[in-house]
Amino acid sequence: MIRIAAVGDVHVDKDVVGRYRPALEQLPDRADALLIAGDLTRHGTPDEAKCFATEFGGLAVPVVVVLGNHDHQSDQQQQVTEVLTDAGITVLECSSTVLEINGHRLGIAGAKGFGGGFAGACASNFGEREMKDFVGTTEDIADRLGESLRSVRCDALVALTHYAPVPETLAGEPLEIYPFLGCYQLGNAIDSAPTALALHGHAHHGSERGRTPGGVPVRNVAHPVIKQAYNVYQLLSETVDSQLVPA
Amino acid sequence: MTVQFDLEAEIQRLLTEHDRIAEQGITVHRRENVVVLGGEVESAERRDEICRQITGRFPEIEITCDIGITRAQAPSEVEEIS
Ligand SMILES: [Fe+2]
Ligand SMILES: [Fe+2]
Repeated sequence: MIRIAAVGDVHVDKDVVGRYRPALEQLPDRADALLIAGDLTRHGTPDEAKCFATEFGGLAVPVVVVLGNHDHQSDQQQQVTEVLTDAGITVLECSSTVLEINGHRLGIAGAKGFGGGFAGACASNFGEREMKDFVGTTEDIADRLGESLRSVRCDALVALTHYAPVPETLAGEPLEIYPFLGCYQLGNAIDSAPTALALHGHAHHGSERGRTPGGVPVRNVAHPVIKQAYNVYQLLSETVDSQLVPA
Repeated sequence: MTVQFDLEAEIQRLLTEHDRIAEQGITVHRRENVVVLGGEVESAERRDEICRQITGRFPEIEITCDIGITRAQAPSEVEEIS
């Protein structure tokens, strides 16, 4: 059994430091790892990243994150990543990591992702340079997330993004902004690997649960959606049961 | 009608682009002559700053601030994924 705690969109700055800490102190009793689905900060400054690292670092469990659009606002995502990495936090961007938990290998592949929309109402790689750049960015990130997912060898595979891979978990947001909240290409990337769970944030007014076209469970863990410090998801329950009998 | 849409768009962009706010998750609804702000933020300071900035920028408009602070307690339940 593996238990994963997850949240997104915590948007930490000085005024938030201390708010999550009481719940985080209890986290190691409830989960084996903490995954954070982007928008760690308000403006993506190194100072805010330090506030985030103070609040979410130094836990007794591994912390794995992706950045969100807010973490790019100051064009200092590289410095933000360094601050987090120095604090012992794993930052994924079209990359993956494997955690050894309770004798299992938990694989996590992550990427910020990007917008573009969903089947029947999506942007195309066509026309003006700016439009081709926009959709080209979407395609490139999704392709590389797919490669990362397919490259991991593990017992349970989790996809971590900021942008949404399916429209179901956007329900509650205005339809007009769906193309800015996610894209179907992320869903295809998730379906190209044996993904057990896909976590995302970004849609503060969205809904918690959905599934990719290939049937992978999707959870929107944006903080205003889950309305608590983090959610906990349990994976590999059956495998553990069967392995309780010694081989 | 155009004026109304412009006002909502202007408030929405101020909420996101103002350096002291940077919120994309605030809803802006016009009810008669009142503009109602909704959604949730991470601290009381942020909610108060939003109200201060919006009322300062649009002094002639009545603003109702229904913005909440997202709770941050530990969960009591686990969801099994299968
Ligand atoms: Fe966010
Ligand atoms: Fe976001």
